[in-house]
Formats: sequence, C-alpha cells, structure tokens
Amino acid sequence: MKNNPVYRREMTVRSRSLRMPLIIFAFNGVLALAALLNMYQTIAQVRSSSTIQYSTFLDLYAFVATLEFLLLMFIMPALTSGSISGERERQTLELLFTTKMSPSDIIMGKLLSAVEQLLILVVSSLPIVLLTFVYGSVDFRDLCLLLICFTVVAFYAGGIGILFSSLLRKSTFSNVCTYGVLLFVVVGTYMLNIFLLNLNQIQIGNMVLQPGMERPMADTGLAVMTLLINPVATFAEILGNQVSGGASILSIRSFFGSNNGSFLIRYWIPLSLAVQSAVSFVIIRSAVYCLNPVKNEKK
Amino acid sequence: MLKIHGLKKKFGNFHALNGLDMEIEEGALYGFVGPNGAGKTTAIRILTGLLLPDEGTVEIAGKDALKYREEVKTEFGYVPDEFGMYDNLKVWEYMEFFASCYGMTGLVARNRCAELLEQVRLSDRTDAFVDSLSRGMKQRLCLARALIHDPKLLVLDEPTSGMDPRNRMEFKAVLKELCAEGKTILVSSHILSELSQMCTDIGIIDAGKIVLSGSMWEILQKVNDSNPLLIKVFDRREEAIRLLRQDPAVKTIAIRDSDIVVQFHGGQEEEAYLLKNMVDAGIPVSGFIREQGDLESIFMQITNREKGKVVLTSEE
Repeated sequence: MKNNPVYRREMTVRSRSLRMPLIIFAFNGVLALAALLNMYQTIAQVRSSSTIQYSTFLDLYAFVATLEFLLLMFIMPALTSGSISGERERQTLELLFTTKMSPSDIIMGKLLSAVEQLLILVVSSLPIVLLTFVYGSVDFRDLCLLLICFTVVAFYAGGIGILFSSLLRKSTFSNVCTYGVLLFVVVGTYMLNIFLLNLNQIQIGNMVLQPGMERPMADTGLAVMTLLINPVATFAEILGNQVSGGASILSIRSFFGSNNGSFLIRYWIPLSLAVQSAVSFVIIRSAVYCLNPVKNEKK
Repeated sequence: MLKIHGLKKKFGNFHALNGLDMEIEEGALYGFVGPNGAGKTTAIRILTGLLLPDEGTVEIAGKDALKYREEVKTEFGYVPDEFGMYDNLKVWEYMEFFASCYGMTGLVARNRCAELLEQVRLSDRTDAFVDSLSRGMKQRLCLARALIHDPKLLVLDEPTSGMDPRNRMEFKAVLKELCAEGKTILVSSHILSELSQMCTDIGIIDAGKIVLSGSMWEILQKVNDSNPLLIKVFDRREEAIRLLRQDPAVKTIAIRDSDIVVQFHGGQEEEAYLLKNMVDAGIPVSGFIREQGDLESIFMQITNREKGKVVLTSEE
C-alpha cells in the first residue's frame, strides 16, 4: 500500500495538518480524564465502604469501546463520502484516469488512508482500554475481537461512503446518501425486527391455548437475518458478552424467541462479521466498477 | 503519430462526432479548431481514454488506443481545460505524485521533476504550495505534469484560456521548444490568432467532422486566394474600373476609401496578367495586393452556416 500514490498523497497532506494530532490529543484527553475520575471514584468508595466494585472498570471499558465504535461508524463515512467526489470537483479525477492508476488503486488508496486515520485513533487509546486488564474479566482475546469488529465496521462504513462518492458527482449529495443508507442499516433493521416482534406478540396474545400448552415466545422469524448486516447489533453482542454476560439494550436475543439456542445465535458474532466483511467487499468492488470511466459504454 | 478514422459518438439524439477523420504527423504542432459544440472535447476525451466512441478507430504511436488503453497511456500527456490541481501540495510534491502515478519513484522521479520544472520556468517555485501559484504558473505546472513520463504526444485542451498576454507568450514559447524537441502536440483553442502563429498544421472541426485540414501555410494560402484584391490607382480610376469589368475573373468591384476592392477568382498568374493589362493601358497603379487572410476569417467562413455566404471546403 505504501507504493500507492493516492495513499501516499493522502498521508502527506494529513501529516501536514494539525487536525489529526489535535483530535487524538482531545479524544485521549477525554478518555484519560474519564479513566482518572473512574479510578478516583473507586478509591473513594474503597475508603468509605471498604468494598471494591470492579464492574466500574468494565464500565470504563464499555464506555471507551462504545465511543470508539460510534466514532468509526459515523466519522468514517464523513472521511470517505467526499473523497472521490472531491477529486471530481477539483477536476483531478480525470487526470488520474489518464495515468497508469487503475480505479481500484484510487479507491483502495482513499479507503485505506481513511481507515488508517481512524484506527490510529483507536490504537492510541488502547492504553486506557487496557486499564481494565489490571482487574481482569476482559482478556486479550476480547480485545482482539473488539479490534476485529472495529476494523470490519471501518471498512463497512467507509465502503458505503466511497461507493456513493464514486457514484455521485457532488460531495454533499454523497454525504447525505451515505448517512441515509447507514441510518437504514442501523436503525431500519432494528425497527423492522421490533415491529415484527410486536406483531408476533399480538398474534401470540390472541392465541387460544389448549390446556397444558405453554404460550410460545414471540420472535421475528427470518427477519432477524437482516440484523446480520447491522454492525451495531454485532458490537452490542460483543460488548454484551464481554461486559454484562450477554445482556445488552440492543441485544438481538429477544428477536429469537424460543430459538435462543440456535446455531445462528451461538455463532452470531463470527457470522455477522463474515457477512459484513463480504458486504464490504461487494460494496468496494461496486465502487471500483462505478469509478471506471468507460464502464457502461460499448466499444 | 495520431490517426483517427471514422469516429462517431452520439449523446442521446445529438451526434457529437459524425465520422471524424484526422491524422497528425510526428513532430507537428496541430491546432484543433472549432466552434463550441463542434466535438473537440469529445474527440479529445476519446483519444485520452476517458470516453469510448460508438464507431471508429484511434491509433496513437501505431497502437490501437481503444484496444490497448493501458499501454497507450504512456504515449500521451493530457492537459485539460481545467488544471486539476491539488492546492494543498507543494509544487515538487505535485510533480512527484504524478511521477509515482506512472511508476516513477526515487531519484529518477526527482531528477525528471527538476528538469521539467526548469523547462517550464518554475524551478524557483518548487517549495511553494500549488495554491499560491498564479493561473499562468498553474498552467505551466500542469504542462510539466503532463510531460512527466516523457510522452510522444501532448494533448492540450484550451490551454491558454484566461491567461494574460505575458503568460500566453511564455506558454507558447514552451510549446515551440517542445515541438522542436520532437514532441507531437495537439492543441485545441479558440484563440485563432495564437494558433496561426505557432501551429504547423491545423484542423477545423464542425458538426463532429473535420471540414478543413492541412498545413498552416496551405490553409492561409487558401484564405488569401479567396480574399479580395486591393488596387490603388494614382489617377484614372474610372478607366481602371472599366478595364477591370472586362476581366472574366473579376466578380465584383467596390470602392473603399481610396482602394478599388475586387473579388477576383483567379490564381497568381491571372493576378499578374491583370496587373500587366492595367499598366499597359497606362493606368498609374500605386498598389496591387491581396487582402491578407487570417485563421479567424477562414474559421468564420467555414463555421458560418447562413445561406448565401461563401463557404470554403477542403476540395476548393
């Protein structure tokens, strides 16, 4: 990737700007402050009640992880949705097409520089996340899983941004479409499942049961599969497993009803990560296709 | 160097190119002229690989440019009408970025960039941000960028638009230098006086096809032959007019100030005989000259589609 001119140019421009160091400083400053306050609170509690609530350290872990996840999910599209359309607006895209750069070189250069930008932020905050290691309950494997989830979501959200950037001429329009699709993926799939769950609950509530028959639990049927493309559902599962033993506000378990031990729910995290990686791959390939200046024309 | 044959391109119902044929010899500085919407930019976009034609062939340096798009990319450099600048890069970074886009890195790229910036007179601005350059400087930087991979053919779309006269002169000088070095240059422009000063060949495109092409000398000669004769007589003007009326090559006679303006359909030999007849008849001729034609006049004649106007064609 170091040989990709677009990637190198993005790095050069970024290294010149004070914006990224300032963001890293501010982000880690806030996290460090939160961590210190958390520790202070724990110590104060020990002094007053002679008991230590280790869960507060897990809260800190959950707080930092959620903040980083939201950052990746909602800042990545902003970094990528204007990248190709910006080149088009500057009239530099056609110049790149006349060189030996291929559309995939351009897309990958743009995408990887944006992913790297945010992953630097994530890695820089690792020392604060690792504070939890002092007290246990979260181990190195959990951290690796979280980092894998972050990487997948970075490519996923960044890919959607770059696809619209390749498709649309104006950065503003591309931004709006990217966030619209992300909103649909994140909120829309949950809304669909909640709606179907409520519908099923009403149907079950209206059922006339035979004596001795237990009222079944409501589920959303196959619609739960739509959540496989929702990175928030994956993250909620990971964090729920690591921090609160599976319980989480956004947990998908309630949508499974009595099928709570099914294969899908047991392997939800790897399956959803695999599905999202595959979707990211398709999105990025589509972006490359859309960028090709002579894609739909006959010879 | 460049051969275009039967190029056709339609956008909806509009025929942007309608069987364009064009040939540019190696080392030529070819002026590509035409009114707005004539198909210049479409033709340029096709030959630079940014657009595919509906029909026709394009050959650059002997290679089929439509079939071997990637291979042909190293054969030409392209300067679009909009510069395409990265304002947040320094001049040398901008150059090295495009060098790396052609696979050139390290010392080779650095030396090539320095050489080209010297050639376009920007060597004293290498550390300046692109944003801080004037329009003329940006255009010269864009030209240097297009030359980074040492292409044989240089394609320039309206390169001097918006430049002040000084920058235009400097730009022209650089183009002439490049031409002298053996580069083939295709330059599209609306500033015809400028093209006539620097181009060796010219092609006029209208409604998607070339309506006139040839060397600059040939074309200006054609213009001159169709321009009126300006005759000045010291005395005996009436007698001169009577004599002119008798000449079959004289179509119309008009008086403009002290000149007799004659539409004369004849070559240099007929001109010489007319002058001899006037002198033999004892008319004191003090001036006998063809009105000088320029590219503007021929461009206006060719691209004017009103009925009843004189229209030159390449067969004339």
